[in-house]
Amino acid sequence: MTMLSTVARQELLASRRNRAPQFLIVMFIAMVAVSAMIGWLTNTTVSDVYRQVLAEGYTDQPNPFDSIAQLYYAHNTVIYVVLIGSLMAIALGVQSALRDRKASTADLVLTRPIRVKTLLAGRLLGIAVLLAAVVALGMVITWATISVINGGPLGVSPTVRLVAFGGLTWVFLCGFAVSGVLAGVYIKRETTALLVPFVAWAVVVFVLPQLGTAARPVSLLNPVALPPQTTGIFHWLSYVTSPLSIGENFKTASSGVLDAPLSAFPWASAAVVSVFMIIAVVVVVLFTPAAKLRGGAYE
Amino acid sequence: MNSVKVFAAKELLDLRRNRVVWILAACLSIAVLVSVVVASLAYRTQVTDYRAYVDALAASGSAVVPAAPQLYPLTLLRGAIEYLEIIGALFAVVVGYATIAREKSRGTMLLILTRAGGAKVFIAGKLVGLGVFWALLSIGLILVSALSLALVGSAGLGASAWGRLGIAAVAAWLYLMFWTALAAGVTAFLKRPSTALVLMLGVWLLVVLVIPQIGDTMDPDNQVPGGLFAALAIQKSDEVAVLAHFSTYESIRNALEASSIEKLYERITFAFLGIKDKYNQQPAALIWPAMQRYTWTVLVLVAGSFAFALTAATRTRLQR
Repeated sequence: MTMLSTVARQELLASRRNRAPQFLIVMFIAMVAVSAMIGWLTNTTVSDVYRQVLAEGYTDQPNPFDSIAQLYYAHNTVIYVVLIGSLMAIALGVQSALRDRKASTADLVLTRPIRVKTLLAGRLLGIAVLLAAVVALGMVITWATISVINGGPLGVSPTVRLVAFGGLTWVFLCGFAVSGVLAGVYIKRETTALLVPFVAWAVVVFVLPQLGTAARPVSLLNPVALPPQTTGIFHWLSYVTSPLSIGENFKTASSGVLDAPLSAFPWASAAVVSVFMIIAVVVVVLFTPAAKLRGGAYE
Repeated sequence: MNSVKVFAAKELLDLRRNRVVWILAACLSIAVLVSVVVASLAYRTQVTDYRAYVDALAASGSAVVPAAPQLYPLTLLRGAIEYLEIIGALFAVVVGYATIAREKSRGTMLLILTRAGGAKVFIAGKLVGLGVFWALLSIGLILVSALSLALVGSAGLGASAWGRLGIAAVAAWLYLMFWTALAAGVTAFLKRPSTALVLMLGVWLLVVLVIPQIGDTMDPDNQVPGGLFAALAIQKSDEVAVLAHFSTYESIRNALEASSIEKLYERITFAFLGIKDKYNQQPAALIWPAMQRYTWTVLVLVAGSFAFALTAATRTRLQR
């Protein structure tokens, strides 16, 4: 246990000293901070547009934004988690796995009385703590921003939902961070180690959902997951691609956490995100041989 | 000039021998192919649904024949262009980064800099080599798209369509070269190549995904599924009249989108391929005046990225 926490502390220290992934962390926090403001600005403008439409007598329909949920403004955060957060997590994971090999200290570390499983678990624990801190900061900023927009502090129920969304985000990001570690462990070249999980991310976020929904790649940047096709070949393809479309499952589960009643919560989507993280952790911790941690790393 | 050619030829040889480059090119081609196949199949599903609807109407004794769905083959390339915008740019960043990082990590940089011409000739040769590589790949991707349209979409392409595909290939080449030259420049500028890669990935995220996403989010019509104005049953002319009251907001939103080279590339390509409804079936001569401003901006940005790469690659920086 002491060794595990020592490795985790070392991981946190090393991550703090590595400036490259910090750039992505700052970018992620900044986008989470402004996303609620962008949502509020847009919503205000849309309401103004509606009032103008009503004043000019073009419609007698009710304002579609009259009764939006308090956490409506948190929806944009979902897409920034998928776009920036996951890539940030991958970069953190890859850098963590390659750090010792780049510094030529991997062989030295493995001379100490530590099991490979403990070493890897400690590293993952360090990354998980770092990601938890980043996500917690993002959620606090979101809570404060939405409270300001709503003109008062959020109530207990939306706060609990926001905390649950933070938890889901953490699980999602941990899955990608561990994928980054996996690439860093098995690939010797840093460029390839970064590139492979990035390509896998692009496939998971864009290509697989497109096969199941016939949607255009850019429409997948919408924070709300697109429904699978119900007819034709895409209907059958969606059976295969839906469980693998981690990004779309995260979006679905996030919408459920932020808006839906408990009875309508998309448990299956949340389970897919969790299983993805668990499989990645199991593969890295239980099946990585010591030989893979030795040797050098190249640009 | 001869030294530039030597470096360009060496760059092409390195790219040809690099397995990662082949994998990237294959991934991009597969993504393009998948998107055309998906669009073609989606169109076929539409036609099947239409026929079933017409048969059902006929069976019920109705004499009404609804309008058949229209197929404009080049519009099926929308997904392919979007993949080039997103994944193509990412790969261009990696290729640009790798071209400098490779020499640094192999320890060949110092040897190269002993040659006549030094750093400037080295980077110019690299950019020429990469230019040839992306030109070949752009042409290849357009051919893959055309072949997919013919085989899956059963679409015949006339001379005009080929001309438009040629414009799309040139636009793709410029767009990919922008990213490659910028990444090469940043990698030459910074001491640690891995820092340059992560920094460039951040820039890619911001320019390709975040800024356009903010622009889309700020679009009032995107706030309701199916469109706000459609939900309120408002005609297009009335929509324009209403939005005229929000011209400042719209200008800010448009400026935000236009600040991303990705959106400029998209607007130019969508216009010439007729993917944007407004330009569908319009002759290229009529589209050009509307796209001239965007084209010049893209050219300036590409020239800027080249100038940055040439300026950043000094002997002192490359030796670090």
